[in-house]
Parts: sequence; C-alpha cells; structure tokens
Amino acid sequence: MAHKTYKWLTILTGILGTIGVASVIYRLIAGMKITWLSSSVPWGMWVALYIYFIGLSAGSFLFSTLIYVFGQKELEKAGRLALLSAVLALVAGLFFVWIDLGHPFRIINIAFHWNSSSVLAWEILFYVFYITCVFAELWFLMRCDLAYMRDQSHGFKKKVYKLLALGWQCPTTIGSFRACHSQSLRVTAILGAIGVPLAIGVHGGTGAIFAVVKARPYWYSPIFPIIFLVSALVSGAGLMTFLYAFLGDKKAPDHHRIVLKLSQWLMLFLGVDVLLMITELLVGIYGSIPDHIAVWNQIMFGEYWYVFWIGQMGLTVLTPILFFVLKKGSTFWMGMGGLAVATGIISVRFNLVIPAFVTPPIPHLDEVMNHIRLSFEYFPSPMEWISSIGIIALVVFFFLQAYKFLPVFEHYKPHLMQGTIQAKEVNYEA
Amino acid sequence: MGKKLKGVPSGEHSPGMEERRAFLKKFVSTVFAGVLAPAILNAAPEEQAQSVQQVLPEIPEPEPGEGMENPVFQMMRDLRRALQKPLEERRWIMVIDLRKCVGCNACTVACIAENRLPPGVVYRPVIEEEIGEYPNVTRRFIPRPCMHCEHPPCTPVCPVKATYQRADGIVVVDYDRCIGCRYCLTACPYNARTFDFGEFYTEDRGIHSLMPYEQVPTGEYNKVHERTRNESPVGNARKCHFCVHRIERGLLPQCVVTCIGRATYFGDRNDPHSLVSQLIARPNIMQLKEELGTHPKVYYLI
Repeated sequence: MAHKTYKWLTILTGILGTIGVASVIYRLIAGMKITWLSSSVPWGMWVALYIYFIGLSAGSFLFSTLIYVFGQKELEKAGRLALLSAVLALVAGLFFVWIDLGHPFRIINIAFHWNSSSVLAWEILFYVFYITCVFAELWFLMRCDLAYMRDQSHGFKKKVYKLLALGWQCPTTIGSFRACHSQSLRVTAILGAIGVPLAIGVHGGTGAIFAVVKARPYWYSPIFPIIFLVSALVSGAGLMTFLYAFLGDKKAPDHHRIVLKLSQWLMLFLGVDVLLMITELLVGIYGSIPDHIAVWNQIMFGEYWYVFWIGQMGLTVLTPILFFVLKKGSTFWMGMGGLAVATGIISVRFNLVIPAFVTPPIPHLDEVMNHIRLSFEYFPSPMEWISSIGIIALVVFFFLQAYKFLPVFEHYKPHLMQGTIQAKEVNYEA
Repeated sequence: MGKKLKGVPSGEHSPGMEERRAFLKKFVSTVFAGVLAPAILNAAPEEQAQSVQQVLPEIPEPEPGEGMENPVFQMMRDLRRALQKPLEERRWIMVIDLRKCVGCNACTVACIAENRLPPGVVYRPVIEEEIGEYPNVTRRFIPRPCMHCEHPPCTPVCPVKATYQRADGIVVVDYDRCIGCRYCLTACPYNARTFDFGEFYTEDRGIHSLMPYEQVPTGEYNKVHERTRNESPVGNARKCHFCVHRIERGLLPQCVVTCIGRATYFGDRNDPHSLVSQLIARPNIMQLKEELGTHPKVYYLI
C-alpha cells in the first residue's frame, strides 16, 4: 500500500474510530433507548454486524487452515494475514454483541450462571476457546519475528514487542532456527486442526442460535447453520483476496498467482453459497407457509428490496463473478471482487436477521402494538449507524496498525542479517 | 359460603387476613392523601420489606354472605385452597372466554397499573380482529398474556438462567440476573415478552422531572425495583408473570379481577374442583399454536 494512502486511511479511521468510541460510551450511559429497536424487532443492525464479523473471523480462520492444516502451501504468504483478520473480526463481532446487551456489565453472569441448554451460552464458550486458539497460532508463527523486533526497537515500541513476544528468544544458528520454524508450523498445524471444529462451532453455532428458534419459520431450518458456515467461508475468502491483492507484495513473482488462487477458492465457496440460498428459497416458496413466504416477500419485494437485489445479488454474487470471468489477468479487479464480497455479505447478514421479525407471530398483533417500542418495523437509528461505522473504522484502524507494526508478511531473519547465513538458504517449508 | 371462605385460609392465614384488613384501611387513606409515592421513595433500605407491601395494593375481603356466588370469589377460594398445597403441586392456568371479551382493554390497562409498566412494555395486549364483511361482520378480541407454556421455548435459550419455569409452572424473569440479550424475545412464538428500553411517559414532555406515578417502584416478583435509568427492570426482558406477587398473597391476577365481562378466569388445574378445571373440560376449548408443542397454560373458550 502506498505510504500516502496508508497515512490518509489511518487518519480517517482514527477519527471515525474516536467517534465510534464516543458513541459506545454514550450508548453505555444512555442505554438501549438510543436504538430504534423494538420488542417485536429485538435484534437489528448490531446483531447483523455481530454475525457478519463472527462469520468474517471464522471464514478467515478456516481459510488459514487450508494453508496450515490442509497443506495449500502456495497460499502461505496470506496465512498470517488470515489469522490476524480472524482475531480482529472476532473482537469486532463480540464488541457488537456486547453493546447490544441491555446490561453489558452483567456479561460475567454467563460464567457464573452458564446455561447448558442455551446455544448462546455455548457460543460464548466457543468464542473464548477459539480466540485463544487463534492467538496461540499467530504467536507461534510470529514469535521469532517479534523477538527480533523487540531486540531491534527502543522505548515504547520495545515494551509492546516485549509484551507480545512473551520472553521468547530467537535461535541464533541456522540449525536451531530451522528446528524452531518447523516446530512453529507443527504447532500451528495442531492448533489449526483443533481450530477447525472450533471455528465450525463458532459460526455454525452462531447460525444455530437462530436455527433453533421454532417461533420463526424463516430461521427454523437445519440448513441455516450450514448457510452461515458457507457464507462465512465466502466472506473470509473475499476478504483474503482483497487484502492480499492490495497489501501483499505486488512485485513478488507469485503475487498474481496467489490472488488468482484465492479468487478461485472464493468462486467455489460462492457457488456453494448460492446453491444453498436457492435451495432455501425454493423449498420455502414451495411450502408456502404464510409466515415463511411473508419473510421472502419482504426480502425481495419489501421496503428494503435493494438490500437483497443490490447488496446480496449484485454486490456479493454478480460483481465478483463478473470481475473474475472478465478480468482474471488483473489482481486489482480480482481484489475489488473480493472487496465486493466482503462488504456485500453485510447485506446477507442483515437479511438473515431482521426480516424474520417483520411478520407478527400472531395475526393482527401488529395492529394493537401501537407504541414505537412494540413496532414490527425497524430501521437503524442514527446512533446505531454512527456507532457501527465508528466501530468498523476502529477495527480497520487496529488492522492498519497491526499491518504496520506486526510481522504480517515479512519473515524477519534476525540472525541471518547479522551472521553469514543467507536468507535464501532457509527453507521455510522444511 | 362465608364460613367456607373463612375456613379456607385457616390457621396461618387468618391472622394475616386480619392484618391485611387493618393495613388496607391505612393503605386506602394513604392513596387518597396522595402521599403514597414520596412515602415509598423515602423508605430506608431496612424498610424495604414493608415497602413491598406498600407497593402492592390489595383488594377488600368479601364480607360473609355478600355476593359469594360471584366467580371471582369462587376463584379466590380455589386459589387459597391451592396455596395450601406445596408449590410443585399447583398448576396455575388462565381461561379466557373469547365470546365474553368485549375488547375494552381494561385488563391491559390494569396490568400496566399493577406492574407500573412504562411506555412500550405491555404484558397483555388485546388483539382485535374483524371477521366477515358488511352486513355480516363481527369482531373478535383475543387477550394475549404470557402463555406460561409447559414447555417454554424462551427459557432454555437464556444464556444465564435468568428466565425459568417455577415449580408451579409460572415462567418468571430474574431482573437482577438478566443481561438483556433479548434471545428470549425472539424465541417466544407468541411475542409475549417485551424489552424495557427505559422509556418514561413524562420524559421529554417539557416536564422537568418525572411525575411521581412514574417513580413508584414495581413490586413484581415480590421485590422492589425502582425504575431508574439503566437499572433493572430497564434493560431487561419483561413479561406477564400471572401477578405472582398477588397470587402468593391469596389474590387473583389483576387482569382477572378487572375484567368487566368476566371473560378471564384463573385457578389451579391440578384441583379438579376448581372453576378453571371445569372450564377447560369443555369441547370449545383451544390453545394458541398448539402445534409447536409448547403446551400453553392459557386456554381460550371459543
């Protein structure tokens, strides 16, 4: 990324992120009143963004396992990037669900009064194990680099790296370095293998939060958690394609090949996702259960039709396919296709959550629930918009900092630089 | 009949009733003196137990021989008989006769008054439906309290066990534990749960402070909850609890007492002699969304 672009992005996301922090503080003081949610539409923008980010995280992580567990070595350069995205997206997702709570500071109750019959309670458990796993993987992959950076830096930076390196000391000979590196990869493979069921639990389980609700026919479907998982893979692959196309080393000879490979994975996941969506739609329409049909009607021809036709169909499905088919030679356009998916998925998330609430579960109930807090209509409030944009900007800001200060791409070769060993001698795949 | 009534809440109950009567006199005068709210609000923490008594109004005891055939008194007798059984042997149910309901919304309002519900929180809306076309047209009214399902879909989803089914089948919410995730709201097939967003009637209306009636604490679940910004029950899921605070004092739920057409009945299903047990044995009985297997404890006579 050009230095200028980076600078402006940092400033922009910094300012928006500050506004985001301020809006979250305001939310904590003012309560849930600042949203335009109601008792009939109890989940809105924040929950949609919660599942979006959890999906992005699980998708990015599962993508990284393609590399570290399933041996797709040619994608290794994008490995740390995928794990970093997984961490930041998960933190963002959890933050969104946290500010959505009526009593955010009682979150600790989940530890003390954990309810084993609640999918949500299980999910919190999954998130904790999952984030530990992803952090551990990232640390093992970066430990030598972090230790090197700690030894090379001064002042505040040194303290930060010292904290991140957890006292790790770099091996100084090529033999021990190789052993260390292969140990890292081995540990990563094991952690990744543990992480696969965790990530499936994380996002399939997030889908199950909805799928177990028999009160909502639109959600109550065994295919729902699977749709969550596949669309998570879609968003993860989209994000990776975008990030690698624009942040990866463009001069490297394999840059185009890696972006193309990422794009191909994206197309595969997208194809399966569309297939599942069509299945869901056709079976739903064929069944013609009024509550189910009403939801699809609302999605496709209701007030917010554009979320489906422009966001879901145009941005998430058609755009990346067109870019892929027509501009396969250009990393820029494939990257843009990835961006279209990674952002377009937000509309998929909105349509997974909110339309389920638009039909009153008992006919005519909507006619007597007159207060705005009982309404069956929902549009995010200005504070919901501001806080959401702010939090997303904050996450991008942290990503930019991590990109700059953490060894996301480069393999630092501390001992190689000072010693006689040449970098090319080290075989990372060993 | 009067004897019977006196006999039912015998032993431990009789002295309580005497006290209640004495208290009631004081209580009524307090209400009319218009000093109720300040008195409660100024109560020191150690007086909270008494505050619950003050927060919760009572209704007069029937004088012997006076209107004893009234179903309300029969239901009260049923209720007090049930209270003498252990908690787990009671099964409270509600029966609503749709042909008697005139859609006056008195129950909705009485519930709001009883539980001091803020704007946007409602436990018992009355669904109105127009059937047919002129000249053949009728209207149907369906009060919809919480169904207190035998298999409630809302309780297993709670991540912190804040909502659960009591031994007597009443589905309750622990306001002090609820984290406000609203998962239970999505899981209820009857939309019977509402979220307290922290709205007030007299806020933002050019009035500097809230009117005293908005500051009267709620006595739900026999606990005093002063409704202030961000404190429970604000930020909690709220729902009909069959006026559990009244039941335990030997009183019928407020909606039952208020009903002008005697359309709502309440009692113990486990007691074959109770009025409700007789009502649900009729052929025109039905429940809402039986197909979901929730086994509602609210029955409708159609």
